[in-house]
Amino acid sequence: MAVINHLLFNIEETAAVILFGVGFTILLLHRNLIKKILGMNIMDTATYLFLASKGYITGRAVPIVVDGGQEVSAYINPVPSGLVLTGIVVSVSTTALMLSLTIRLYERYHSLDLDEILILAKEEEQS
Amino acid sequence: MSLVQNFPFFSIILAMFSGILSSVLSGRKARNLSLAMIGITTLLSGATLAFCLRTGESYTYMMGHFPAPWGNEIRAGVLEGLTAVMFGVVMFLAVLGGLDHTAEDVEEKKLNLFYIMIDLMLSSLLALVYTNDLFTAYVFVEINTIAGCGLIMIRQKGRSMSAAIRYMIMSQIGSGLFLIGLSLLYDVTGHLLMSPAKESVEILAAAGDYRIPMLVIMAVISVGLAIKSGLYPFHYWIPDTYGYATPTASAVLSGLVSKGYIFLLVKIFYRVLGYDHVISSQMANVLYAFGVAGMVMGSVHAIQETDTRRMTAYSSVAQIGYIYMGIGLGTPSGMVAALFHIFTHSATKALLFISAVGLYEVSGDKKDFVSLRGAAYRNPLAGIGFAVGSLSMVGFPMLSGFISKLLFATSAQESPHKMLPTLFVLAVSTTLNAIYFLRLVITLYSRRRAEDDPIPEPVNAKSSWKLKLAILCFIGVNLVLGMASQPIVQAISDGLGMFD
Amino acid sequence: MMEGNMILLLPMLCPMAAGILVLTGKVFRKNRSYLTGLSTGVLVLEAALTVWALASGGSLTVLRLTEQLTISLRVDDISRLFAALTAAVWLLVGIYSVAYMSHEEEEHRFFGYYLMVVGVLMALNFSANLITLYVFYELMTLTSLPLVLHERSREAVRAGLKYLFYSVAGAFLALFGIFFVAGVSADLTFTAGGILSDEALAGKEGLLLVSAFCMIVGFGTKAGMFPLHGWLPTAHPVAPASASAVLSGLITKAGVLAILRVVYYVIGPDRLRGTWVQTVWILLTLVTVFMGSLLAYREPVMKKRLAYSTVSQVSYVLFGLSLLNPVGFVGALIHVVFHSVIKHALFLTAGAIIVTTGWTRVEQMRGLGTVMPKTLTCYTIASLALIGIPPASGFVSKWYLASGALSSGTGVFSWVGPAVLLVSALLTAGYLLPLTITGFFPGHDFKGEEIEKRKLAGKEPSWLMLEPIAVLAAAAFLFGCFPGQLISMVQSIAAAVL
Repeated sequence: MAVINHLLFNIEETAAVILFGVGFTILLLHRNLIKKILGMNIMDTATYLFLASKGYITGRAVPIVVDGGQEVSAYINPVPSGLVLTGIVVSVSTTALMLSLTIRLYERYHSLDLDEILILAKEEEQS
Repeated sequence: MSLVQNFPFFSIILAMFSGILSSVLSGRKARNLSLAMIGITTLLSGATLAFCLRTGESYTYMMGHFPAPWGNEIRAGVLEGLTAVMFGVVMFLAVLGGLDHTAEDVEEKKLNLFYIMIDLMLSSLLALVYTNDLFTAYVFVEINTIAGCGLIMIRQKGRSMSAAIRYMIMSQIGSGLFLIGLSLLYDVTGHLLMSPAKESVEILAAAGDYRIPMLVIMAVISVGLAIKSGLYPFHYWIPDTYGYATPTASAVLSGLVSKGYIFLLVKIFYRVLGYDHVISSQMANVLYAFGVAGMVMGSVHAIQETDTRRMTAYSSVAQIGYIYMGIGLGTPSGMVAALFHIFTHSATKALLFISAVGLYEVSGDKKDFVSLRGAAYRNPLAGIGFAVGSLSMVGFPMLSGFISKLLFATSAQESPHKMLPTLFVLAVSTTLNAIYFLRLVITLYSRRRAEDDPIPEPVNAKSSWKLKLAILCFIGVNLVLGMASQPIVQAISDGLGMFD
Repeated sequence: MMEGNMILLLPMLCPMAAGILVLTGKVFRKNRSYLTGLSTGVLVLEAALTVWALASGGSLTVLRLTEQLTISLRVDDISRLFAALTAAVWLLVGIYSVAYMSHEEEEHRFFGYYLMVVGVLMALNFSANLITLYVFYELMTLTSLPLVLHERSREAVRAGLKYLFYSVAGAFLALFGIFFVAGVSADLTFTAGGILSDEALAGKEGLLLVSAFCMIVGFGTKAGMFPLHGWLPTAHPVAPASASAVLSGLITKAGVLAILRVVYYVIGPDRLRGTWVQTVWILLTLVTVFMGSLLAYREPVMKKRLAYSTVSQVSYVLFGLSLLNPVGFVGALIHVVFHSVIKHALFLTAGAIIVTTGWTRVEQMRGLGTVMPKTLTCYTIASLALIGIPPASGFVSKWYLASGALSSGTGVFSWVGPAVLLVSALLTAGYLLPLTITGFFPGHDFKGEEIEKRKLAGKEPSWLMLEPIAVLAAAAFLFGCFPGQLISMVQSIAAAVL
């Protein structure tokens, strides 16, 4: 019971880790390229959830300083939010790159199944 | 602060801005800019190295106006400088050697894009070498991945597209693991800068807190970077990517990119997680086991290949295995050997890929054994280059590979439990290396048979002076590493000392 | 950066430079007289330079690979013996090749590598430490490979690959041992009686034996020792006769030299005496001696027969070394000289027969006495020397080997060894003498139709080819009559190391 309580108490982290696992598995094992990309995004988002939840401290304010500001202990940690933003930029760009690659591959092999594409590519080279 | 201390930052930013500038330049100009930029950054890195050697200590360089525990930092020491110089030299020669083939393989109006990728690649490699901040490392890991993917897919022939998507998927798995690893680390320690993170890690370790999370962090970061550097059994993307990219890209990808990740991993081991903890938590043994498996299996795969370029690519799997084996030995001298092998392998593998090009162009652009028979007579310098590279990989004395093997073998004797398996695997792997590399070299130097298909014209395509120059320089680098290794090894171990 | 006597570099650099010149210069491809003139000139010069280097003595550090490992050369008694032998024989075979190679294509390639190999061999003979030895040992494999590949036919390529793989596998096996030795000893310079200290070895004695065994078997590859002897009968016959002569007579001796250096100058004979390494080593050499002779006896192709004979005879030398006592050591070293001289004479004869008649199989050679009586006489003298009929040279060395074995205290081997040597000597007679017998006395039913039809009678090879054979055969005989000087020199070496 203690374990479950512990997990429930850290609900965001638990969810993040589960989501990370889901995304990771899809990225690694699924044959469909679009689903792989979805998996990748789930994986990244899970990390952002984790970071964001770690950065938030209950009962504190957003670290936007107006009127000279208060003590440091009044604000939440701003660094994780910055990291999440950077991470989102990175993840958007890799997603765009992978989607464009997928489009090129689909135009060429008329398939989204990675195994099939690899076989077709091999055949194409040998012929 | 002296001017030289700015150079690491200058070289990163210079490489990045060259990339941005190249997007509005023509292919030709982008190429020249790229070559000039690589040359200048290499000089800058050389100056940094000289500075660190003179002062005998490393320094950190504050980025922006936030001091240590919050801001972003660059750190330069002897090892960083040396690695940056080596990366610069190899990159320059690889670009120079593959220049004409790049122009052939890439559409004219996309040529500048290729050089943007090269610029970004160098910038991210330098950043991985110099950075003192984990999240910066992650961002540049991703930039590196995207640039690498671009380098692979820009040659839109054969299997390069499917190779690129495979590369992308494996890389994303790797960087996803790396990202979650450093998020967890940030969660536990509250720091992203390496030095304060290390202090927190030491405090936690002394108090005995967070054992399991630290173990998970270590495993996730190691595995993530191991996947990205192509450690067996995560190597499936290697033969396709190295085998079908344009020659410069193959040389850069196999010689440098995987090494950048390994360097980062070593840096994290020493500067964040603590190498002692890596050893005591068995992580070193896991890497050692995978490394040893890679040394043998990579060679076994290479022997079965008939396409020489894929064969060379599989040999990279084996060589990466050597490096991880050295890291996993768990002794300082093993780490020195691994780092020296990083240099050996980048110089040698790039030499092999570049000189192989000279052989393919006189064999009707075919890459199988039969077509290459006698190719060394049709392009003597490329033949010599390939032979020197092969002999170095096999470990002939006077060449760099021999020194690597010697360092591995002597360092193995310091760790009693791993001595016998290491020596045994070294012997087996060397013999396997010899089998496939020397078989190819002999093929290159044997006479064509009457029943062989005639070589399509132009039989006597003379390789350009750039290729020849690059091959000669690579041979020179190999000989320097093989015959004057003493100062380099010394610098590596000094640099490792500065890591603490 | 080089310190020491620079003269030691000359015998190594001069032929190498000449070799590269011959390989690259277009004029040598077109004009044969330039090629042969330069080659002979360089070989004569090489002999002179070797004498000069040996006389001036001293040592030279060429290069520092790491703090511990240096490439350095030095003259000692062992290098005197091997270098003098190499220079003399290489010159004689070179003269022979001038005539012999006129029947082959692409002579410049042969002479180019021929010259380079002698440079490497000289460096090998002069090497002052284990790393230098290993470096030049590998280089020797590489430079001698083109000699095997000379024909560039499918068989030649296959033989070349086999040669390369065996050599490389052997060398890496040896490297395993070298790595170990480098780990326990800071200095790898050859010192009579070994360089290893007891403190450094404490707890690693078992491993020392394993690595010693690896080095013996590894370097034994070049010497054709069982179980890695397989390349020898394949590689020697496909090479041109002069190349097979030096491969058989001198390159195999490089393996012997390496084992000698490792056992007597690095590890030290005392550490191996009475261990399983010595037992297994003796066993391997005896197996090789017997097996080589037997295979030679059953082999119809002459050059292959001689190659098997080399397998057997070089293991005589290794047998002498494995006894680890002074008498066996003396026998081994003088057998190095004798076998080298004799085997060159035999291979050169085989080449002369091929050039003049085109015969390769022994049964074709009936009535050879009517074709080339002088050559066959030289062959016979050399054969008798190899079999060990007194007073020819082989008798002396085998006498020492046998008495060394009897006094070695190696248990059962002290009498099994001489017995095997005796049986092998009988087999040697069995495979060498038939050529003499059927050559001079072909029998009543022999009509000599082929000899008549091709007008071969009395067709001796040219004096350029005959001369070296005669000199070598005479040397094989005379060494046996006057071995005193050589033996006393070798005995002084033996006294130093044992």
